[in-house]
Amino acid sequence: MRPDDERYFARIEDRLDEAFDRAGAAKGQGKDPVEEIEIPVARDMADRVENILGIPGVAERVRELEEEFSREEAALELVTDFVDGAVGDFDSREGKIEGAVRTAVALLTEGVVAAPIEGIDRVELLQNDDGTEFVNVYYAGPIRSAGGTAQALSVLVGDYARSLLGIEEYSARSDEVERYAEEVALYDTETGLQYTPKDEETKFIAKHMPIMLDGEATGDEEVSGFRDLERVDTNSARGGMCLVLAEGIALKAPKIQRYTRQLDEVDWPWLQDLIDGTYYESDDADAGDGEGEDADGEAAAENGDDLAEGESDATGPTGPKRAEPAKKFLRDLIAGRPVFSHPSEPGGFRLRYGRARNHGFATGGVHPATMHLVDDFLATGTQIKTERPGKAHGVVPVDSIEGPTVRLANGDVRRVDDPAEALEIRNGVEEILDLGEYLVNYGEFVENNHPLAPASYVREWWEQDLDAAGADLQALRDDPRMDLADPDADQALAWVEEFDAPLHPTYTYLWHDISVEEFDVLTDAVAEGEVTGGVLALENTDTVRRALETLLVEHSQTPDALRVPDFRPLLRQLGVTDGLRREWEYDDLPAEAREWASGDNAVKAVNEVASFTVRERAPTRIGNRMGRPEKSESRDLSPAVHTLFPIRDFGGSQRSVGEAARERTEHGRGVFDVLLGERICPDCDEKTFENLCSECGTHTEPHFECEECGTVCEPDESGRVECPRCEREVESVDWQRVDLNAEYWDALDALGEREAGFEILKGVKGLTSANKTPEPMEKGVLRAKHGVTAFKDGTVRYDMTDLPVTAVRPEELDVTAEHFRELGYETDIDGEPLVHDEQLVELKVQDIVLSDGAADHMMKTADFVDELLTDFYDLDPFYEVNGRDDLVGELVFGMAPHTSAAVVGRVIGFTSAAVGYAHPYFHAAKRRNCDGDEDCVMLLMDGLLNFSKQFLPDKRGGQMDAPLVMSSRIDPSEIDDEAHNMDIVRTYPREFYEATLEMADPEEVDIRIGDDTLGTDDEYRGFHHTHDTTDIALGPDLSAYKTLGSMMDKMDAQLALARKLRAVDETDVAERVIEYHFLPDLIGNLRAFSRQETRCLDCGEKYRRVPLTGDCRECGGRMTLTVHQGSVNKYMDTAIRVADEFDCREYTKQRLEILERSLESVFENDKNRPSTIADFM
Amino acid sequence: MPLETPSRVVQALAGRGYNAEREAVTLIAEAESPTLALDAAIEAAPEDALVLTRDHVRSALATTPAPDPDGVAADGASTTEQAPTEGATTEQTPTEHAPTADSGTSTSSASTSSTPTSGASASTTTDPAASASATGSTGTSDSAGTGGGTATADPSTSTGTAAGQSGGSAASAPVETEGSSRVGGRDPPAPGIANDVTGRSTGTGEYDEFVRVFRDRYDRLAGQLRGRVNHRPAEAIQDMPGGSEAELIGLVNDIRSTASGHWLIELEDTTGTFPCLVMKDRDIADLVDELLMDECIAVQGTLADDAGIMFVDAIHFPDVPRTYRPNTADRQVEAALISDVHVGSQEFMADAWHRFADWLHTEEADRVEYLLIAGDMVEGVGVYPNQDEELDVVDIYDQYERFSEYLKEVPGDMEIVMIPGNHDAVRLAEPQPGFDEELRDIMSAHDPRISGNPSTVSVEGVNVLMYHGVSLDEVIAELPAEKASYDEPHKAMFQLLKKRHVAPQYGGHTRIAPEEKDYLVMDEVPDVFHTGHVHKLGWGKYHNVLAVNSGCWQAQTAFQKSVNIDPDAGYAPILELDTLDMTVRKFS
Repeated sequence: MRPDDERYFARIEDRLDEAFDRAGAAKGQGKDPVEEIEIPVARDMADRVENILGIPGVAERVRELEEEFSREEAALELVTDFVDGAVGDFDSREGKIEGAVRTAVALLTEGVVAAPIEGIDRVELLQNDDGTEFVNVYYAGPIRSAGGTAQALSVLVGDYARSLLGIEEYSARSDEVERYAEEVALYDTETGLQYTPKDEETKFIAKHMPIMLDGEATGDEEVSGFRDLERVDTNSARGGMCLVLAEGIALKAPKIQRYTRQLDEVDWPWLQDLIDGTYYESDDADAGDGEGEDADGEAAAENGDDLAEGESDATGPTGPKRAEPAKKFLRDLIAGRPVFSHPSEPGGFRLRYGRARNHGFATGGVHPATMHLVDDFLATGTQIKTERPGKAHGVVPVDSIEGPTVRLANGDVRRVDDPAEALEIRNGVEEILDLGEYLVNYGEFVENNHPLAPASYVREWWEQDLDAAGADLQALRDDPRMDLADPDADQALAWVEEFDAPLHPTYTYLWHDISVEEFDVLTDAVAEGEVTGGVLALENTDTVRRALETLLVEHSQTPDALRVPDFRPLLRQLGVTDGLRREWEYDDLPAEAREWASGDNAVKAVNEVASFTVRERAPTRIGNRMGRPEKSESRDLSPAVHTLFPIRDFGGSQRSVGEAARERTEHGRGVFDVLLGERICPDCDEKTFENLCSECGTHTEPHFECEECGTVCEPDESGRVECPRCEREVESVDWQRVDLNAEYWDALDALGEREAGFEILKGVKGLTSANKTPEPMEKGVLRAKHGVTAFKDGTVRYDMTDLPVTAVRPEELDVTAEHFRELGYETDIDGEPLVHDEQLVELKVQDIVLSDGAADHMMKTADFVDELLTDFYDLDPFYEVNGRDDLVGELVFGMAPHTSAAVVGRVIGFTSAAVGYAHPYFHAAKRRNCDGDEDCVMLLMDGLLNFSKQFLPDKRGGQMDAPLVMSSRIDPSEIDDEAHNMDIVRTYPREFYEATLEMADPEEVDIRIGDDTLGTDDEYRGFHHTHDTTDIALGPDLSAYKTLGSMMDKMDAQLALARKLRAVDETDVAERVIEYHFLPDLIGNLRAFSRQETRCLDCGEKYRRVPLTGDCRECGGRMTLTVHQGSVNKYMDTAIRVADEFDCREYTKQRLEILERSLESVFENDKNRPSTIADFM
Repeated sequence: MPLETPSRVVQALAGRGYNAEREAVTLIAEAESPTLALDAAIEAAPEDALVLTRDHVRSALATTPAPDPDGVAADGASTTEQAPTEGATTEQTPTEHAPTADSGTSTSSASTSSTPTSGASASTTTDPAASASATGSTGTSDSAGTGGGTATADPSTSTGTAAGQSGGSAASAPVETEGSSRVGGRDPPAPGIANDVTGRSTGTGEYDEFVRVFRDRYDRLAGQLRGRVNHRPAEAIQDMPGGSEAELIGLVNDIRSTASGHWLIELEDTTGTFPCLVMKDRDIADLVDELLMDECIAVQGTLADDAGIMFVDAIHFPDVPRTYRPNTADRQVEAALISDVHVGSQEFMADAWHRFADWLHTEEADRVEYLLIAGDMVEGVGVYPNQDEELDVVDIYDQYERFSEYLKEVPGDMEIVMIPGNHDAVRLAEPQPGFDEELRDIMSAHDPRISGNPSTVSVEGVNVLMYHGVSLDEVIAELPAEKASYDEPHKAMFQLLKKRHVAPQYGGHTRIAPEEKDYLVMDEVPDVFHTGHVHKLGWGKYHNVLAVNSGCWQAQTAFQKSVNIDPDAGYAPILELDTLDMTVRKFS
């Protein structure tokens, strides 16, 4: 590690130590459930793994193995250790397998997520029909957090251990195979899967799986066939199992294959069939060859559709290679989230390769002008579902790529590269002819193992072509008269004269989007045009106009003429002289040019008639649609909670502690019984629910007394308490009388606060933790005063969409170069001393940028913490924040859902974008990528003071999303390896661009990625980018999805946009919105109506069915339906209108018609329905 | 005064000094022109009659029977099976490949088998007009009346003669004259229909309506139980001292097993709820397995010492009396009970249907005068996601048009009754009203009687409760396999008969639309209970009530394959209305 990095981490750890000292002193006072800080610092991954699993010796062995092996290999190596008994103290074979599987999952998730403890329930040995034994792994829902790869590898590890122990393979019975298929489908409808294997695929996997996948029932819905199977103990869907099978094995087959190949003991030959999609009837050859082949063909076709990989052989010799259109991203389109481009549609986003500084790691760069022109639906951090290379991207603004091209109401066609201009002309845009470029970095293709799609011809490629053609590129760059990015026409033509390089991209039109025929027609039109005043005027016909629009030739329009400025490069590409003489005839074209891509692509023809090479300007278009909007908001429980103190139903619907304290009960004002954990004072044996003994002020401990025999018990190491005599579980919880009135006013007194100091103090109905330990009331009072609320674990959290950034300017973060220097930044990315605010600086791995909203929230939290320290713990304040500048340099926790480990981050600045920008490695350390994921930050001191495991819910998954451990420094080798695939270079080589045209495998190209620097001195630095952006918060601050009011407004905007976009088929959008949003909503609500629960308006009690008494059985109150007519038919009229307006299929219209009649039938009285017009008169 | 409702008919008759049988009133009310029908009926009644009977009306409305057309050849049916006739709960299900004759005490009929031959004019012609002309050449007229939708005998045209008209003119003859023609020896009186929600759906989806429906259910079912127990309201039982004997009738509100394996059943009446404990070691504990939520039962037992719970000694269901004597027809006449035709589906078995329709034209089927279809005429649209990919006919109206064409193959002189199912284009919530005007117009050939789901159809005095059967899924899912399964769907139907409710459980599969009463209650014991939906064939008798789940006309779908359902497709159960014996014919 370089001394620089060492200093950086030391600086962070020093501040961490300060915080620990202060928090330790506070905790030591015993006012909290536990007297110590409950978030231990983990040195490294091995530590975390061992802590999570509680298997001694694992950390040491992991460190040894890490020296030699990759993590996956290490996980497999460890299997041997477990089997031999070298690690772990397991006697039974199932125990050994279990240990190995859990450890593998823990290792592969870097000891960060809760999956190894919560996601694997047990491993058992069962019997095959032939009497041999097989292994059954029993999964639970939280295995989800392990991710597909770790899930899949857990199966591989289980199988490896099985083979080492000499246990037979599982041979599934046919009803079990069918059950898997039905169950996975059921789980998908009930809960949803990221990837849903087809029934055949599931059955294929089930048939070949060498160990049995089983699990806990997670849903209420039951399968209807294949019930009551002998070896499956539930009829409900087993969520964990479904995830492992579908998102693990089925989705990650290629990844597992990598490792099965390395292992001699494990052989999964069927994986290849799974990957190829040739699983139809594959082991059932007798079924008839013809049929089998048909099925295979179909499977392959569908597979092609799904994966969208590979070139089409049919066009191989007679057309260019193209990525196959894939329309999967359009699935489940919902109202209000627009489609930006249909799959691979001309006019959609043009793929440009490169990585901007705020880019990489599952993001897509979009020009800010595009963001505005799509009616602000795209903002920084908005998620889009994309056609390729992955499934989803977080959108980042990049203004160094080309913007959109539009046709205005006056007929002008122009490209818009300036966000301000975009806003200005937005109302006059008639059609968006082209969405501009879409920046995707090379690493995305590596990560998704996606063949490189043909690259657009862009400046950075052209420069290298020019260089290769012998030009002195450096001289050209240095020449102030030369504009390599946007040369004038004469210059561009001069270059093609002088060098044997293709035409500059600026003048390269999208010839591949027009047909040879149109090319011919356009040539005629140009030859018949005339040149006046430096403008080429063509006759304004539909064909010519459409051709120019498709080619993206900027022009203006009069009623009779299309006026093209800067036309000479166009003439040259059309084979027309400056004197407007056509130099070629259609029949002169060689057959290859005429028939290139069936005549639909004129690029060959252009190259025939032009004297220079013309590259394809935009061979790859990327379809996408909006996913979810960006997020930046505080995390509140629902309803919000200020204090984790139970008040049952006394606080009214708001759960107001103040109101509950005033409530008169039979025991007195604010006095009631509530379930709380019993605690005992070690000094005076006083029993209480409070953390401090009311008699002597000593810290109390939970008290476990057996209900049966009265024996006082102690928890064992795992926290379980069992009565040694009665062998039954003992808990400390009991009904206890609470004088809330006293609690409340004592807390206010102790803090010197008045009730008017806050609006309301909200408590909880009851506690869900095992020991039901309440929080000291004072904490709640101060939270309420400072306007922050508590999460279930006692911390204050703020959620933001994750986005990556590797270089920043102090200026754009609303801080100064001086701030940066104070934080240890000394030079800019070029090594120059950091002096000016606008200098670009490479970001350090644990530094993060807060959104404005997060900064405000952190300031409130800091004030809360300071007052807590001074007024509750009697210590010095820690933050003393006056302005938000004071937050710069402060430490926070980053913490993602489904994980159990927090990562320490340092605040370096602020952004108006509603996202959390941070180094990709920071996000990866939390096991997030940036495709729309969101997670939270907590203020360091808040976490240390207020987090307690004692508050965590006592149920499956309760340990998730809680900081059980923290990582103080990021080791790049111990993060989610997805981040290692990010490229970190300044330019992509020419060979790369050429390789894309052949749709090469990304691994065949040599571009430096993060993985290449791991373990070297460079592992924390040198994250270069190919594209800059003026500011990381360009474009709208919020997506229109969030600023538009009702769902109807959003949908109208969505459809209006669909009409404007050339690349979008608005009828298809309308169909999909109806099909995937309105109809399911209508059908679902109608179904819900006719089997609904009812609810009491007064006490909120719910009834499965109406009480026969009519009134609430609990309180006699008035009852109401939970699903009303209004909620059932809210979309009916809109759906019908949309279906009509957008000319949807008759099938869709009929479905709506039938539904409408159903609604009428249910909600209208036959006997007073007006039957004729006359009845209205 | 228009006479379209029975009450008006009754009033009109009373005005002329007549009392009338219920059926007679129904017949008049449903006649094409009730006024004329009423006049004709009075005309037909003897001078001294004080009560207008069904026979009077029938004779007034009747038409002269025509001889059997010679052209109709006797097509053989492939297999026949006979259902057991008597016995408390005997049942039988045919196996698909080897149907077996009934064993046991019942009269068994020999299986006959021959390949159906086509070629007879009536059987190959689908267009009724054309078939009239074809058979007309043999000197008899045929069922051209089916084309017009007014086959119902109408007094005003009952005197018209059709026999002897030339085939050519029959094809273009005004349809109303055809109603009086005599075809195939069939001359069924019109079925009566009761408990039909069609046109009477008054619910508007308010809370009070839900309360009203469940109260109505409780009141009516409790009424059936009151003779057996001395009901004390839940509220009153709550105040009774510990150790008292108590009897309670209530809807099952909750069923839980206790930590020690006993069953805790919460019963609810109109005053409140009361917990009832069924000890696991009691005989009646087995009955708990049969319980569904929201059914009505009565319990007898003793209150616990603290009076907070009742220990149950006996459980009673509304049930069908063991001694129930079903009504039978007083002549030899038969009805075909089918369901789940699913026209429009790629799996619809057109060939089987053709064979069925052909067979109905044969002499052997001469007595089959009624066709009762228990729902799912068509495959529908939007019943499940991406259904359009599996449809043969994507347009819902075309589906019904197509269905209507298939229906026209059935002899025109049969009486047809149809109720909708969950695939049909009516609301899914039960009770489902019958098809709306638009769909009725499409299916007007044969003038079928279209009624709601469920409905009680009275044919020749036999009450057939027709219900599509969505609740069967739930009964099968909830009850142990030996009490209800897809392979023996009639056993699930027995449970419904026992509970006297076609779909007791609320909140699950079955959807409820609140109406002014609970149409799903079986007030009267039906003589035959006919359902479909699960696409499995099964029948048997429960306390002398014949329960029939007819199969379907749709081959196994991909979905059914995925959930392991092997449908019984292409069967037509044929019921002898005079004996209630049943024969299943296979056409697939």
